[in-house]
Amino acid sequence: MIETFKAVLWSFFGVRKQSEYEADTRRLDPRAVIIAGIVAAAVLVLGLYGLVKLVAP
Amino acid sequence: MSAAAPAHGHDHSHDEHAHAHPTGLKRWLFTTNHKDIGTLYLWFSFVMFLTGGVMALLIRAELFQPGLQFVNPEFFNSLTTVHGLVMVFGAIMPAWVGFANWLIPMQIGAPDMAFPRMNNWSFWLVVPAAILLVASFFVPGGAAASGWTLYPPLIIQQGMSIDMTILAVHILGASSIMGSINIITTILNLRAPGMTLMKMPLFAWTWLITAYLLIAVMPVLAGAVTMLLTDRHFGTSFFNAAGGGDPTMFMHIFWFFGHPEVYIMILPAFGVVSAIIPAFARKPLFGYASMVYATASIAILSFIVWGHHMFTVGMPAAGNLFFMYATMLIAVPTGVKIFNWIATMWKGSMTFETPMLFSIGFLCLFTIGGFSGLVLAITPVDITLHNTYYVVAHFHYVLVSGALFAIFAGVYFWLPKWTGNMYHEGLGKLHFWLSVIGFNIAFFPQHFLGLAGMPRRIPDYALQFAEWNLWSSVGAFLFGFSQLVFLYVVIECIRSGRKCEDRPWEGADSLEWTHLPCPAPYHTFETVPEVK
Repeated sequence: MIETFKAVLWSFFGVRKQSEYEADTRRLDPRAVIIAGIVAAAVLVLGLYGLVKLVAP
Repeated sequence: MSAAAPAHGHDHSHDEHAHAHPTGLKRWLFTTNHKDIGTLYLWFSFVMFLTGGVMALLIRAELFQPGLQFVNPEFFNSLTTVHGLVMVFGAIMPAWVGFANWLIPMQIGAPDMAFPRMNNWSFWLVVPAAILLVASFFVPGGAAASGWTLYPPLIIQQGMSIDMTILAVHILGASSIMGSINIITTILNLRAPGMTLMKMPLFAWTWLITAYLLIAVMPVLAGAVTMLLTDRHFGTSFFNAAGGGDPTMFMHIFWFFGHPEVYIMILPAFGVVSAIIPAFARKPLFGYASMVYATASIAILSFIVWGHHMFTVGMPAAGNLFFMYATMLIAVPTGVKIFNWIATMWKGSMTFETPMLFSIGFLCLFTIGGFSGLVLAITPVDITLHNTYYVVAHFHYVLVSGALFAIFAGVYFWLPKWTGNMYHEGLGKLHFWLSVIGFNIAFFPQHFLGLAGMPRRIPDYALQFAEWNLWSSVGAFLFGFSQLVFLYVVIECIRSGRKCEDRPWEGADSLEWTHLPCPAPYHTFETVPEVK
């Protein structure tokens, strides 16, 4: 699970080390990656919302 | 990527005689062949490109000098509106669907698209839609004059051309959704054995993601224009403040479609450039997996930034801040792509044939468009620049030197595959240089005009804007007429009989180059290749 989220977060940045990427293709379940992607996108939106609340009370 | 199977294209030449194909008009009307449909899409989009281009030149002729010279203000507004609609829905999008039809089956080792009859239907829907759009100029009241965004309340007040535009948008949306279903199904189900998703050429990847975007947002646009229609004819007040509605709601719905739409037009361009730069740098694409991830990230982010198109409508400060931050985040995956293309070229054995020139032109000029996008993402800056020529300059750098230059690059790159003939390299380079010079003279000064405060969508302007408008018009005419060189190059290539080798680009290594001759036979990969 942590590995899946790690891969997704690197994907959000758009960069992944070749060796890590190759390891990902062996060990990760694509369905889990999609779910993790949706969760991470939701967290991103909430994070931005939190940041906005912080600077514009 | 390496592939084990021998070339399959030659095997099927006898098939073409085994069962009679319709010829002449019937061939094109009833075709279910992905290559024929790709050709139809590409020619259609070129005709629409010239149609929208003529409108653009009328706009620039009017703006050559201050004062009203050629057209009345109402017609001018119609020109800007229909120019935008025709270029987005008639030129750029169909061109990419044409590329998808021609290339995706060949690149993944499939014999055709998954739903060939639906494919034919997708194409033949766009023709009546285009006719509706263009014919709306000739109905009482003239064509839609509200800008391509079709904002109410103006759009609710206009004549029957609006209904024609709404119907055209509905038909185009249906066509796009069918095309997307076809592309997704083809990619997910018809890949050759061994062609895993992460071995696909990036063009197939970018189109897979684009197709999902289309399916997600086209129904949203259809909903928005249907609400416009019922506001106009059936007594609803979705967007009519007098009846308790809210015009701002239309903006939110429209731009929830509109921003992903921008990525629909640009993601396939990323795919094309990712095929061409490695081929002419003679190096594999740097960071292939990163490119896939970056494309997916851009697609996800495209859904949470629509508010940056409407910073001036009075959203709460928190809303503006959210959209500002989210928009700036897009620079990260986009920057990754730019760096990857540069890293691909780094220390490569580069040559500069026309496809590579257009790809490098894309890289440099799209980056300028990206940076001006970042400027506009800053809310307080956007509030001063909103609806000025700065915005016009920005999105033309993204969509002309971005999407259109990539289309040109792709056409030059795959013309040998499509026609079996080599285009005239000198004329191709002439087309590139005229385009790049004309484009920059036309659009770079528009940044200055916008910064000086010239509003968009006006037929007349104050005297202080005269000089840069003059230059902009000169550049636009140079750019416009240089496209006739492109038309000549394509026709000359088809008719020249200058046969090319099966692999005219030694650095190109996707299946259509390694497994198929030039021109690609009418039927390809009926026996599936095995990819290792």
